[in-house]
Amino acid sequence: MPFFDFSLLLSGQYHDALVAGFVLSVQLTAVTLVLAVPLATTVAMLRLSPSRVLRALGVSYVEAIRNVPLLAHMLFWYFGAPELLPEALKQRLYAGNIEAISAVAALTLYTAAYMAEDIRSGIRAVPPGQMEAARALGLRFLQVMRLVILPQAVRVTIPPLISQTLNLWKNTSIATVIGVAEMMYRAAQVESATFRSVEAFAFATAAYLTISLTITGLASWYQHRYPVRTR
Amino acid sequence: MQKRLFLSTLVAAAAAVFAVSARADQLADIQKKGEIVIGVLGTDEPNSFVDPKTRDVVGYEVDIGRAIAAKLGVKPVFKQLAVAARIPELQQGRVDLLAASLTHNKEREALIDFSLTTFVTGQKVLVKKDSGISQLAQLGGKKVLTVKGGTQEPNIRKAVPTVDVVTFETTQQAFLALQQGKGVGYVNDEASIVDDFAKLGPAAKNYLIIPQSISTEALALGIRKGEAGVKNVVDGVLRDLEKSGEADKLFQKWYGPNTRLKFQSRDFKFVSDKIDG
Repeated sequence: MPFFDFSLLLSGQYHDALVAGFVLSVQLTAVTLVLAVPLATTVAMLRLSPSRVLRALGVSYVEAIRNVPLLAHMLFWYFGAPELLPEALKQRLYAGNIEAISAVAALTLYTAAYMAEDIRSGIRAVPPGQMEAARALGLRFLQVMRLVILPQAVRVTIPPLISQTLNLWKNTSIATVIGVAEMMYRAAQVESATFRSVEAFAFATAAYLTISLTITGLASWYQHRYPVRTR
Repeated sequence: MQKRLFLSTLVAAAAAVFAVSARADQLADIQKKGEIVIGVLGTDEPNSFVDPKTRDVVGYEVDIGRAIAAKLGVKPVFKQLAVAARIPELQQGRVDLLAASLTHNKEREALIDFSLTTFVTGQKVLVKKDSGISQLAQLGGKKVLTVKGGTQEPNIRKAVPTVDVVTFETTQQAFLALQQGKGVGYVNDEASIVDDFAKLGPAAKNYLIIPQSISTEALALGIRKGEAGVKNVVDGVLRDLEKSGEADKLFQKWYGPNTRLKFQSRDFKFVSDKIDG
């Protein structure tokens, strides 16, 4: 048995399994990102809204989600929550790829809680005078947000959001516990089939690292290209 | 968990390079420590499971482990392991012995040694009756559920090549997913399937164990590669259990007609550490 068997990683069924896992991890990240950003923006709006009830709603969401480990979220959205659905919908859902759907639900809600806080702090970085001035001009709260505050807040917010995307990318690995055949699941599967632990996890490590470093690079590029304007 | 596994694999790989020449005799180590750490599943009734009243790990394999510890005159320490972590934990020396529903097969012989066979079981598939499935072949293209890192996944793929397999950390999660309808079948060792089937209570009438086995598994205790001293003691204890009739009593206690499993006869003995094919 050679110490490190590259051929296993370069072709054949185990190569295919690992690559399929990598692709699914990337897909999970992409779908979650698309769903989480609008949700996070909404939650941030709630937290900043003039209404006390809406603010309380926003705080509850963020705290309830952030204070529970992602692993618990995953198990809840797979084994727990779908069971509460009406029978017909449940059957339809279970006939499809319920594993991936549950993982996306858990990841979206979890990531959105963190992103909401980043968006909120980005918005708060815009001097309050701007809000007051725009309100004085007669714009309504959501108009002020859309036309005055958010365009300025974007530059402050994007780098931390990219960093949350990095967390999201790594967090997809937790989906292995609910049977989603992502990168970690595939690596473990190849490990049990071949007993080549080092090769399987070296592949996973390289895959995670490649995407992670790309995301990190993107964040620092953005910060240089679009620095925060301090008038 | 998986990441930790990977890291420890790397560390172990590095350690193995140095340790080959310097490794002490494991049997002497166990006696010096005064305890033997036995890796069990703790989630696989009746081999090893947590007694809901006492919170202790008990079971057929736990009793065998206790007999071995008694023979050595040391304290048994039972450590619960995930299915996929069993062999790495043994290789890295974090457990001294595996009594963890471990299948003895040729592939694994390259990695660890095995004791005499301690149990023989088929592997079967449990399905819901309303799926209309009653034979293995009908599982083609369907989703079945089982545990990660065991022989269940490769065996069902061999038996039904087109099957879609989803795996979980424990057999009980896979079993729960079956009950919730997230797949049509649940694959496990027959002994465990029979027990799970009994656990269903009145709902069991909606379920069916497909009679055809996907494989026959010889379960044995796992011993670190090349530890002849440990293997001698373990096999000796197993032979003594067989000779004294204790082995039969253990079988009756955990698997016999008065248990939930109701196995009528014991079709194997603790005699051989050889397996076919």
